[in-house]
Amino acid sequence: MLLLPLSLALALPAGAHHSGAAYDRDKTVTVTGTVNSVEWTSPHAWIKVDAKNEAGVAVTWEFELPSPVTLTRRGWARSTLVPGDKITVTGAPAREHANIAIATGVIDKTGRRLFGGAADSKE
Amino acid sequence: MDRQVRTSGLACAVAVVAAIGALAKPSDAMAQWVDYPTANVPRNADGTPNLKAPAPRAADGKPDLSGLWFSAEVLPECSEKDCIPQMPLPADQINIGRTLKEGLPYTPWAAKLVAERAANGAKDDPHAFCLPPNFPRAYSLPQYIKIAQMPKLTIVLHEFNASYRQIFTDGRPLPKDPLPAWNGYSVGHWEGDTLVVESSGFRDDLWLDLSGSPMTSAARVVERIKRPNFGSLEIEVTVNDPKAYTKPWTVTLHQNIVLDTELIEETCLENERDTALFKKEGGR
Repeated sequence: MLLLPLSLALALPAGAHHSGAAYDRDKTVTVTGTVNSVEWTSPHAWIKVDAKNEAGVAVTWEFELPSPVTLTRRGWARSTLVPGDKITVTGAPAREHANIAIATGVIDKTGRRLFGGAADSKE
Repeated sequence: MDRQVRTSGLACAVAVVAAIGALAKPSDAMAQWVDYPTANVPRNADGTPNLKAPAPRAADGKPDLSGLWFSAEVLPECSEKDCIPQMPLPADQINIGRTLKEGLPYTPWAAKLVAERAANGAKDDPHAFCLPPNFPRAYSLPQYIKIAQMPKLTIVLHEFNASYRQIFTDGRPLPKDPLPAWNGYSVGHWEGDTLVVESSGFRDDLWLDLSGSPMTSAARVVERIKRPNFGSLEIEVTVNDPKAYTKPWTVTLHQNIVLDTELIEETCLENERDTALFKKEGGR
């Protein structure tokens, strides 16, 4: 897990239906682990990722994703991520809660970036 | 505004309107109902949609406003390092009065309320709690709307919470004492090619944008809706709410046609967790 400052924090809503104030956009967290579960639900999809922290202790991170409507329109399917997939997720952590973040980037089990950041714009 | 959103030339370039189908890249999705082709689309010689073609006409000769629509002016959604890919967020969502030189003419009561809401991160926004997508705010939410126009009734469907709004065009007057409602009560009539919609009977606690610009039960709203061509809608919204604003104000909202897709259900209460994330306890 890495905590890095972001050079730019946007004053934008973090989600389709809420402001971004619950998340600290000045920080970023990167988690590599195994998909525990996928909640394909409105207003946001969520994925749980089993990983280990710096001390080697097992921890489950929860990442908020866009809504299934948005994901569908971006080409995701319900089966894009499934339990057991080894993935890396980047996100902005919740201010008041440990191990919860809003995803800004996902690299799937094949190494493909699913969304997030400048790298994807080259696709 | 062009139909492409560019984010400082850096990250995500997101096609919003007629090209929305391009967002669903995988070819295996093409057969799905969300990619169902729109009928009767005027075409250029090269086969692309002719968005500047004349607006279609209904059987009664009026412009036909029917179709799937989305805000034409959306915010950059990504920076170089930071991208949370949502539906493109309409610019009017943040501040519905953004195009007014002097800003919205808040009364002291409304100005205090908006300042409080800015200070607390808009944590009480009804939309965040999955409450209904009230018009005119609903034009600037990041979901699609669908207009179905009939001679005596026009229905506006909203993707969020699978909501509806009725505009009666059968000549009835506005009710004298309507029940308070998220969309109020709306009646419409045609002035030339413009559908003029008058609404009253609003709830007392409505938000018009993410800034928390209020609208109260004192409000009367007039929308003048035009379809200048096949691809676009112009909606001139006038809000007269003496409790919240010192004078009536008018903004023009723009919508673009969305082709080759359909509404998708988004039922917000299915798994709403974000409001709890504002609190120290109960994030899960």
